[in-house]
Amino acid sequence: MNTVFRKLQVSVTQQAFVLNQALTSCRATPSIQHPVWTAVNERQYKTMPTHGIGRWRHLLPREAPKKKKDRHQMKEILAETDTAYGTLNVKVSGYDMTLVEHYSQYIHNLCNRLGIKVAESYALPTKTTEVMLMQEQGTKMFVDAVLKTHSRVVQLSSLNATACPVFIDVLLKNQPEGVQLSVQEHTEADFHARFKGRPELEGLMAQMGN
Amino acid sequence: MAAPCRRMASRSLLQFLSCFSRTAVGNAGFRQFSSTSVCRATLMTQSVTARARSPWTLMAAVCLQRFPVISADCTPIEQQFRQMMRQMELEKSLLSDHELRLLEDAERMSRKQADDYDSDEDDDLGDQEIVLAQDLEDSWEQKLKSFQPTPRVTADTDEDLTSLERCLADSLFLLAEQQVGEGKLWLLPQTRWQDGETLRQTAERALASLPAAGLKATFLGNAPCGVYKYKLPKAARTESTVGTKVFFFKAVLSDSGPPAAPNAPLLWAKKSELQRYLKPSYMMAVDRFILGL
Repeated sequence: MNTVFRKLQVSVTQQAFVLNQALTSCRATPSIQHPVWTAVNERQYKTMPTHGIGRWRHLLPREAPKKKKDRHQMKEILAETDTAYGTLNVKVSGYDMTLVEHYSQYIHNLCNRLGIKVAESYALPTKTTEVMLMQEQGTKMFVDAVLKTHSRVVQLSSLNATACPVFIDVLLKNQPEGVQLSVQEHTEADFHARFKGRPELEGLMAQMGN
Repeated sequence: MAAPCRRMASRSLLQFLSCFSRTAVGNAGFRQFSSTSVCRATLMTQSVTARARSPWTLMAAVCLQRFPVISADCTPIEQQFRQMMRQMELEKSLLSDHELRLLEDAERMSRKQADDYDSDEDDDLGDQEIVLAQDLEDSWEQKLKSFQPTPRVTADTDEDLTSLERCLADSLFLLAEQQVGEGKLWLLPQTRWQDGETLRQTAERALASLPAAGLKATFLGNAPCGVYKYKLPKAARTESTVGTKVFFFKAVLSDSGPPAAPNAPLLWAKKSELQRYLKPSYMMAVDRFILGL
């Protein structure tokens, strides 16, 4: 209660102070017909105490403008330390796309929940396999089925050695039928395998080398 | 303290390049584990002079599990939802190539049977006129009928606690009856830690010392997943031994080898059955890391 009264008193005195100041300023310049109004710009609320209260972008560190070439730079491949594994690729592959995608989403969500940092999550190109059967009467092979192998990769940047058994246990318990799971270290070759080859460039480089 | 904890990730090279696949080919009931052999970093045994003797005897136990082979049956709500989603997807879907071909063939047949049929008007389809889509469907139906799937649940094998084929939809854990102190107790296979080896090697030794030969397992990581502390009753305590600490390591069964002798004190139990065999305080410690998914 006391604090409330004290605040009221303080605000009352402050208001009185402000009013006094305003009155004195008005009395000081009675003749001038407010030339200040025309000189100032339209945004008169700059004098509001809360002006610029929502500004936050000036508090962020300066970022260099992104160039288009940077998008294809490889992220750092971490090496393993004594207590954590390096960059790992968890690859999920199978014939049924819904199962594969849902399982890779499950892995990603599980990592988020367990606090395992996920560096990247991407898909590798689909590989199509044609199953050819021999015809019953005759020697010609005919196409029996077309199987497509889909694969998704979840790249983990650092996996704690204590979290690893729990993580892999949960993954294996929830692995659906028909889906293969493989955990490998990430290498530069893996990264470059994702890009399309450029035969003309390679030809020219070979010529230059020769 | 007493047990040296080596670099946790020193065996990682071997662990990593391992591929788990879940296909029906190969041993029924086991995941195919393929691990490429990479040269393991040899662990140098560190000689610690004047190591403080701890009053606890250390043991390492292995929690060997066989993962479920088939997915569990859906609950009634899941079944109803699945049926509803299937119906919705069917109603929203478009016709596939095969179904379009069926319709075209049916339409062509009806045109051929009409009186004023002019065969020159039709496009030349060749093979499609000889082997109709309906014939293909019939041949596929025949093949499906000759396929016999194995039954998912076999009541007989489910009762047999020592068989590995029981309860294909759940994960099973290996229990062994071992001599502890005076009496025999059912617990996860354990053995005593010796100087100069890591706890994980102790756990591997515990697995190898079981009467069931040929149990091949892949250990998940070098870090233990649980610990159980047991203080001896006051009468048995001396200055050097106050009790035992058991560290548990998780391992996944990759190959079972020849079946064990029927008298071997081993059994495979589900998580819900563990309570019948384990002591309550031990069960509480084990419950924390055994996942009942």
